[in-house]
Amino acid sequence: MTLQMPQADELVLNNKENIILDLKKISSNVLFENEEITPYETDGLTAYKQKPIAVVLPETTDEVSKVLSYCFNNNVKVVPRGAGTGLSGGALPLQDCILVGLGKFNKILETDFENRCVVAQPGVTNLAITNAVQHEGFYYAPDPSSQIACSIGGNIAENSGGVHSLKYGTTTNNVLGVEMVLMDGTVLRIGGKNLDSEGYDLLGLITGSEGLLGVITEVTVKILKKPQSVRAVLIGFDTIEDSGNCVADIISKGIVPAGMEIMDRPLIKATDDYAKAGYPRDVESLLIVELDGTESEVDILIEKVLEISKANKASYHRASASDEERLRFWKGRKAAFPALGVISPDYICMDGSIPRNKLADVLGEIYKMSKKYGLGVANCFHAGDGNLHPLIMYDSNNPKELKKAEEFGADILKYCVKVGGVLTGEHGVGIEKRDLMCEMFNDNDIQQQLRLKKAFDDKNLLNPGKVYPILHRCAEEGRIHIHKGKTKFPDLPRF
Amino acid sequence: MSGVFQPANESQISDFIRDSAKSNNPIEVVGYNTKAIGRYIQCSQTLDLSKIKGIVEYMPEELYIKVCANTSMLEVMDLLKSKKQMLGFEPVDYGYLYYGKSNYGSVGGAIGCNLSGSRRFKAGALRDHLLGFRAVNGSGEIIKSGGTVVKNVTGYDLSKLVAGSYGTLSVLSEVVLKVLPEPEYSETFIIYNLDSLQAINAFSKVMKTSLEISGACYFPKNNINFFRLNDLDNTHSVLALRVEGPKKSVIERVSSLQSIFKEMKKTTILELYQSKLFWKIASNLECFSNSPNVVAKISLAPTDANSFVKQFCDDSIIGINNKYFIDWAGGLVWIEIDNLDPSYLIIEKIKKFCTQSNAHMTIVKSNMTYRSTGSFLTSASDDLKSLTSRIKKSFDPKSILNPGKMYAGI
Repeated sequence: MTLQMPQADELVLNNKENIILDLKKISSNVLFENEEITPYETDGLTAYKQKPIAVVLPETTDEVSKVLSYCFNNNVKVVPRGAGTGLSGGALPLQDCILVGLGKFNKILETDFENRCVVAQPGVTNLAITNAVQHEGFYYAPDPSSQIACSIGGNIAENSGGVHSLKYGTTTNNVLGVEMVLMDGTVLRIGGKNLDSEGYDLLGLITGSEGLLGVITEVTVKILKKPQSVRAVLIGFDTIEDSGNCVADIISKGIVPAGMEIMDRPLIKATDDYAKAGYPRDVESLLIVELDGTESEVDILIEKVLEISKANKASYHRASASDEERLRFWKGRKAAFPALGVISPDYICMDGSIPRNKLADVLGEIYKMSKKYGLGVANCFHAGDGNLHPLIMYDSNNPKELKKAEEFGADILKYCVKVGGVLTGEHGVGIEKRDLMCEMFNDNDIQQQLRLKKAFDDKNLLNPGKVYPILHRCAEEGRIHIHKGKTKFPDLPRF
Repeated sequence: MSGVFQPANESQISDFIRDSAKSNNPIEVVGYNTKAIGRYIQCSQTLDLSKIKGIVEYMPEELYIKVCANTSMLEVMDLLKSKKQMLGFEPVDYGYLYYGKSNYGSVGGAIGCNLSGSRRFKAGALRDHLLGFRAVNGSGEIIKSGGTVVKNVTGYDLSKLVAGSYGTLSVLSEVVLKVLPEPEYSETFIIYNLDSLQAINAFSKVMKTSLEISGACYFPKNNINFFRLNDLDNTHSVLALRVEGPKKSVIERVSSLQSIFKEMKKTTILELYQSKLFWKIASNLECFSNSPNVVAKISLAPTDANSFVKQFCDDSIIGINNKYFIDWAGGLVWIEIDNLDPSYLIIEKIKKFCTQSNAHMTIVKSNMTYRSTGSFLTSASDDLKSLTSRIKKSFDPKSILNPGKMYAGI
């Protein structure tokens, strides 16, 4: 591992056996044998691996509190972990840490249709929440592409998004309450079934804090009634600019689509070859617009979007006539990762957010960089919310290419920040973008955030070494590495 | 150092706070000074932000507006309106409550109090619409967080923390708000003569449909006569359900509401103009216009709303008759407490109710004695207070920004 992590505490490492014995008195689920803890040595950012001292899988809030309190009193670092699907290395263990896995917190505690919410333990998967309420026609709105496997607790830690963020918000806009344990073992309940809570908005702060402020042990999330109708339009353009203008025009005309996705030519070809989605092959840019609402509303909006696309020189357009057709529109897009795995031995997935109107500018710059570095790139863009995912192709058998790909990725993120965007839209900073944080924040900003961290964890024991740079420099280290299409969770679509 | 300081820009705010921190001089932060929410505090210095105003950047197609923190909320709303856009959280005009006339105050003031209107249950609170900010912390350092994009997980989301912090963490200088398109059309379906329990049941029924209701409130019979609308009978209790969107869809959905509630004896429909006016009057608390009494809002689980109403608002058997109304499809009860007893017993009882049912009270108007001595929030647990105090110190180590505004001693 080349990435610098906090220095290991020799006292803790030397006391390893006693720590394990003590933890066994608190929890009956302590893993420490090499083969037992190997599955926990990495998360979705598989390029980095590290085994912890031990893995504890607590089953109750009281157990979590006791484990944290023990670690606090004995200066042992703790790394929390949900399903381990995160893409930025937020759950990467440290050599001298105890990994607290929330996998046994896997029950839905209450489905409350009268108050339109679900109370669940944090290890429940995102999709399981929707599954628990769909018989009444409800669903949980944020839909990260890993929703079949990622946990709701992890969603809160990362403030996960999905393709419907523009209309329905990200996790932070859909959480009503949490129970969480601070590093010293204090258990706090924040929010609940009501909308506004007492004092500072700790719920908003904890969401997206990447496991640095507390360990979530229970969540209450808002559920929504499924829209009556969902339809999509597939629109092709001869230039990226035209598709960008079309997106701007749709929004200016007062339409808030449920989802809007743009793919560039390399990705259209790769995904259509792979998924046989029936995409037009002679366009530079393909836009998918999904609209939901009542039936008549969706029909009206589809007509409007088609009109707008014609005015923006669309060379191809097709509205879905059935749900099967709508799903086929998405089929290619959702296969972006495996599709690229076929045409390139390895690739890195980046995750920046940019103002929507900068799309053509940023893509133009990315293509220039692609030439400069001599590496291929394909792009998908959540046009609704400005979240860009360039996929940089390289071959890890050539060590020089890996370094080039990482530099290329860092250059892209820096350019995103330069045009008014941000380093990460939904994957989190973790260790992956940690050392780029000073591209966006100055020392005052970072110091303020670090002081806030101390208010929750004054010994800096909870998930240290993540999100904030350890060194005062902006190094370019590590991205999501995918070798031969094999990710840690190969079945999960990643976009 | 004492008196009123009126900085012209962010760097002057920073210099002033840095000097005040050095000399341990507390500061009361004042925007338009239109809202008397929070504990009453006395500081030797006032930081008057009147000059920190103006639109910095409005990008309609990017769905955001960047303004200096003390820009007038009305100015922002008017500008957005000119492009058929709006603030999704539906800003509330507290002017009626305090002065009997319109005064939206400043954007920063609304953010400081996290004030959201009737669309809150559908569109989120103000805090959900604050995308980023620049501010000066209690050490005089200029800090920033967030950005102009909706999807952003780069670092802690401090926007959430400053929204509703009553100016105790930092002094906002510039803010970015998410904007949304105005709906093309809206109508409001009215059901008369329901009691509070029937109203809660009606909310529940309609929230289980996919009709996308964007406003759901209930005014009882004793708190309805301030509405003066041609199409609204203001002699009965009123339950109102707002439907917004393309005209054809609105008309269809209102017709669905008519079928769902076909057994109701008396209903009516407020069309576009009257519908808009209705929600403005309701959201702006015109029912409590210039109230001499204590006014509080209680955010609770909708299923607890009726029990709250029975205990504290309306029970003829035990002689309770406080003016109230229900908003957010049952998630919010507004109450005006008449004839406040000197021991504030009813407030303590409400706080107890809130603690027991995991609800939250905020007193938005009260007398000077109560504001000086009592707590306007429910009552945080010791652990929460201790964390609150540590968070405050992480932004404002000398505790000079609005000290005591939220909690005594913090």
